[in-house]
Amino acid sequence: MITVEKLSKAYGDHRVLDAVDHRQERSESVVLIGPSGCGKSTFLRCLNQLETPDAGRVTIDDVTVDCARPVERELQRQLRLRAGMVFQQFHLFPHRTALENILEGPMHVLGRPRSEVEPEALDLLARVGLSDRAGHRPSQLSGGQQQRVAIARALAMKPRALLLDEPTSALDPELREEVRDVLRRLADEGMTMLLVTHDLQLARDVADRILFFHGGHIVESGTPDEVLDHPQHPRTQEFLGQ
Amino acid sequence: MRTGPDSVGPLPPAGVVSSPPEDRRPTTSSSTPWLVLLLWLVAGGMIGRSPLRADLWDDVRSRGVLRWGDDAEGGAPYLFHPEDDPTKLVGFEVDFAAALATRLEIRDQFVQNNWDMLLPALRQGGSFDIVIAGLERTPENLAKADLSRPYFVFAQQLVVRAADTGIRSLDDLRGRPVGVLSATASHRLLERRGTVEIRVYQDNVNYFRDLEVGRLDAVLTDTPIAQVNLAGNEKLRAAGPPFEPGYYAVAVPPGETNLLARIDQAILGLTTNGTLQQIYTRYGLWGAEQEGLRKWTAPAQVIRRQRSALREWKTYLPMLLRAAVTTVWVTCGGMTLAVIWGLALAIVKQYGPAPLRWSATAYIEVFRGTPLLLQIYFIYFGLAQQLGLKLSAGLAAVLALGLNYAATEAENYRAGLLAVPRGQMEAALALGMKRRVALRRVLLPQALRISLPSVTNDFIAMFKDSSIVSVIALVELTKEYQIRAIDTGDYLGLGLLTAGIYFAMSWTASLGARRLERFLQHDHR
Repeated sequence: MITVEKLSKAYGDHRVLDAVDHRQERSESVVLIGPSGCGKSTFLRCLNQLETPDAGRVTIDDVTVDCARPVERELQRQLRLRAGMVFQQFHLFPHRTALENILEGPMHVLGRPRSEVEPEALDLLARVGLSDRAGHRPSQLSGGQQQRVAIARALAMKPRALLLDEPTSALDPELREEVRDVLRRLADEGMTMLLVTHDLQLARDVADRILFFHGGHIVESGTPDEVLDHPQHPRTQEFLGQ
Repeated sequence: MRTGPDSVGPLPPAGVVSSPPEDRRPTTSSSTPWLVLLLWLVAGGMIGRSPLRADLWDDVRSRGVLRWGDDAEGGAPYLFHPEDDPTKLVGFEVDFAAALATRLEIRDQFVQNNWDMLLPALRQGGSFDIVIAGLERTPENLAKADLSRPYFVFAQQLVVRAADTGIRSLDDLRGRPVGVLSATASHRLLERRGTVEIRVYQDNVNYFRDLEVGRLDAVLTDTPIAQVNLAGNEKLRAAGPPFEPGYYAVAVPPGETNLLARIDQAILGLTTNGTLQQIYTRYGLWGAEQEGLRKWTAPAQVIRRQRSALREWKTYLPMLLRAAVTTVWVTCGGMTLAVIWGLALAIVKQYGPAPLRWSATAYIEVFRGTPLLLQIYFIYFGLAQQLGLKLSAGLAAVLALGLNYAATEAENYRAGLLAVPRGQMEAALALGMKRRVALRRVLLPQALRISLPSVTNDFIAMFKDSSIVSVIALVELTKEYQIRAIDTGDYLGLGLLTAGIYFAMSWTASLGARRLERFLQHDHR
């Protein structure tokens, strides 16, 4: 489902991603952990071209992008249509209601009529437990509720995979559980997910596989049990020991 | 009577302005506007009352210099810079002033002043002693200053395009645009007749230009002006003989009888000893009609009452409101253009490809960095002259205001666009939106809300800035105020009425904007 080959990115002399390879099957959910500044968010943002990699190839479903050459805008867009994105800071559209946020993509990107999209959107709101908040603006919602709307907004585009960039990090601890709950169910339903997080509870809950990222490389890979409870690499041990 | 410089007039006792102690509570904010108004009225009263001072003739004689006010924009043949030496000032009034001063055994000195404001400035005192500016000896002018015996006989002359052979008199111009100089005998004559469309100008040059290019069908002006501008100009001709003769006289501040008597005596001397004939012959202005100067005797003085615009508001308010309509549509038209064009500029400058981006930046810098007045002249006169693009005054005004304000609005929108968090664009792109869709659906709605207060501010500012379009013969509110104030001398009363109208307009605009803001804010919560 997701294949990454030799993905590299540098800011000046600093190599953020150093020829990273990654393969991920359909329905597999993979969690990236690692210290701050290790390049894991950049990796995620390179996958849907919000950052421009210097080299490497990214394949999501049937779309392959060769990053060594300038990428056509339309190809970029096709890639993004296959990978939904959830941000740490939610980035909901503040001038639209929860429902309108979810309708925005299907109606104005895919050009589907509201009559067809609205039942789906209401269903998505129900799945994230926010049926009673359809008419609320983002500023009237708590952080956890906003993030759940953001997940519904990404799902409304029926992506083949979901990229999540620290989805619980901006939330108060007591609000994290409601987002974890939604993501656990998504993983159970077989959504292909690639998730960057510091939230080890979340990692343990949803990951089929955990990757430990350090210095622009994946230095360790395995099941949650292997990586979180029996880390092999000294860097991983140091990180988890903190 | 001679009094010291300290006798400016009694200041009001402090108690008149400040409230008694028991009223000094924080609640006095509601009375603040009244205090401001009171202060203004007191100040206005002091300015209106001309301060007592030494006899002006004594001042002039001891100074040895007679300072005369006029506007060099008045042009030939009155006073002008000759083409072969623009540093010099010549004209029949320059020579007349010199002869007058010589006759009084002193020197003369020219003082430049806006034509419109010559008499008000004379009454105010200070910068010049008399006015020599082709002032007609009319009841209107006699109400504002004391006038000498005449030094020149003029008449009204209708000027048309040479090609318009059918026009012989004003009767042939019903409903058609005729240019006149503001607040002159010609202006009043057209107002009295009320049969043509009056276009008011600030100077003696631009109406001939507009007549040539076809924006006007005729100009009504004084014979000397017509004579100079028709000489060697094959495009224009005099229509019919001169009519409604009148006299030019020297204006002296009201009550300066001694100075007035000296000047009357001097003019009589210059008339009888042939000096005037010499001067006027030099400029090709001498004719049989000037014989009237010798025979002239002062008519019985008609004392005109100073008019009060506040007491006669039923007369003046409708006049001002009619002019306010022009202000409103020029402003609304200009702002509509500015809002739309500004938005296009902002988007191109922020997101356009390089060459377009540079053009937008250049446009904004040029229109922000040059005076609006210059842009109006350029659009109205420049385009007509160089490209033959004859815009009507209204269209030129809307264009100039709109194009100028577009530069400011573009920067307002750009500030709004930059204030939208980066994540919004990323979220839109991640959804698969094209940049154009993201701009329209996500960025602009948020950016416009952020820019709205600044745009409202500019809208209100434009109501006031629009007064500048009076330079292209468009009578809007401020111009109407100026015309009526010069007529009546009631600067304070008319000023209050005019300020009231401006306030009503901008207050309405800001109320509307506040409602819009609240509506959008509601939208946001």
